[in-house]
Amino acid sequence: MPKERSVVSRIFSIAIFILLEVASLVMLSNNNRFQRLWFARISHGVMAKTWGTSQSIHGYFSLRKQNDELALENNRLQSLVRSYQLAAHESDPMFRPEMADNGFRYIPATIIKSSSNSQHNYLILDKGSDDGVVQNCGIITPDGVIGIVDAVSKHYCYAISFMNTEVNISARIDSSGAVGPLAWDGISTSGAVLKEIPLQYKYNPGDTVYTSGYSAIFPPDIPIGIAGDARVINGATNEIKVKLFQDHSALKYVTIIQNTRAAEIAEIESRNEQ
Amino acid sequence: MTGMKNRFVLTYVLLVIAQMLLCNYFHFTPYIMLTILPIMVFCIPTRVSVFWTLIIAFVTGLAVDYFAEGIIGLNAAALLPVAILRRTLIEAIFGPEPFEQEENITVKKYGLAKVSLAIFIITAIFLLIYNIADCAGTRPFIFILAKVCLSLLASYILSLLAINLLSYDDRR
Repeated sequence: MPKERSVVSRIFSIAIFILLEVASLVMLSNNNRFQRLWFARISHGVMAKTWGTSQSIHGYFSLRKQNDELALENNRLQSLVRSYQLAAHESDPMFRPEMADNGFRYIPATIIKSSSNSQHNYLILDKGSDDGVVQNCGIITPDGVIGIVDAVSKHYCYAISFMNTEVNISARIDSSGAVGPLAWDGISTSGAVLKEIPLQYKYNPGDTVYTSGYSAIFPPDIPIGIAGDARVINGATNEIKVKLFQDHSALKYVTIIQNTRAAEIAEIESRNEQ
Repeated sequence: MTGMKNRFVLTYVLLVIAQMLLCNYFHFTPYIMLTILPIMVFCIPTRVSVFWTLIIAFVTGLAVDYFAEGIIGLNAAALLPVAILRRTLIEAIFGPEPFEQEENITVKKYGLAKVSLAIFIITAIFLLIYNIADCAGTRPFIFILAKVCLSLLASYILSLLAINLLSYDDRR
């Protein structure tokens, strides 16, 4: 093999080429005004592109931090909205100060692991008993219900996803006020079925479905989805398809809801059952 | 061998002077520039290393820039890519033989078609870089393209002549 073909020789040749080419371009730039302006324009363009790209890369890698900050900000604003909603009740002659506390505590959390491809999906969140999370806390986003906490460790909690055929939550159709259990349809990441709606309750497709507030897990009036077509089951009740607002395939930031009066409700419930 | 070398050097220098004259006195239209510099670099004997080819191309370009056209660095900047690509092009078009046997490229040995292809490619590379840098963004690309195409056709005839003069091995 000729010596010139060696890798070192090639690198050397390329280095010399670059050196001489740069020297030529520098001479060209220094001795001619048009070329100097042209090179300046090109170099400014390249620099702007490089800075833009580096900013984009930096922005991409800081997205996680920004999302965390936004989640906290979102949680703070939601709390603020809730306090204003309660304050609005003060103008109601029936309002009493103790009503201002609706008994729910909100904890922002991030999903660190989840499944979405089985009939029994789950979530693991980055908040645990140290953060005040207990079993049977609800998990929501501004767009709906996400799941229910099933087990808690010091720093994490395990939750059963709403996309689990064993989970039912109590939901209400806005227009008629009819309440029934809402469950995942088992097919789509944004589909659910509202069951056991008595036939006498009329509704229109497109009505909004909210949490009913009839369980100790979720507060009332969290929007969940839009009612769709219905079918009659056993000639007695309607089963209504619901298009969920929240697409469960694209979830990262959620809010854990802890009912601070859940124990009290459970106690009075068990006492009356006995 | 020394005689052949001296003859090549003399022919090369005379062609550089001819190029200077072409640059100074042959301006028929802004759409055509006549150049034989790329083919001169292409015809540098194959035994000359890439390093020395680059140096020769650089000095040749600067000499023409300095004595003829007044835009210092323009010919040198356009000629250096020809010099660095010379070996790759020769191997791609003529095979490894010219380097293995250290022989020059001649029409007689390799045929007009292959030599013409080589002339077109290296002259197009040179003209494209030259005209883009010369216009410095002040002319539309279609003008540059038209100038490159017309200059390519015009320079082709001169390049054939130059290759014949420089490939002295063929006439031993």
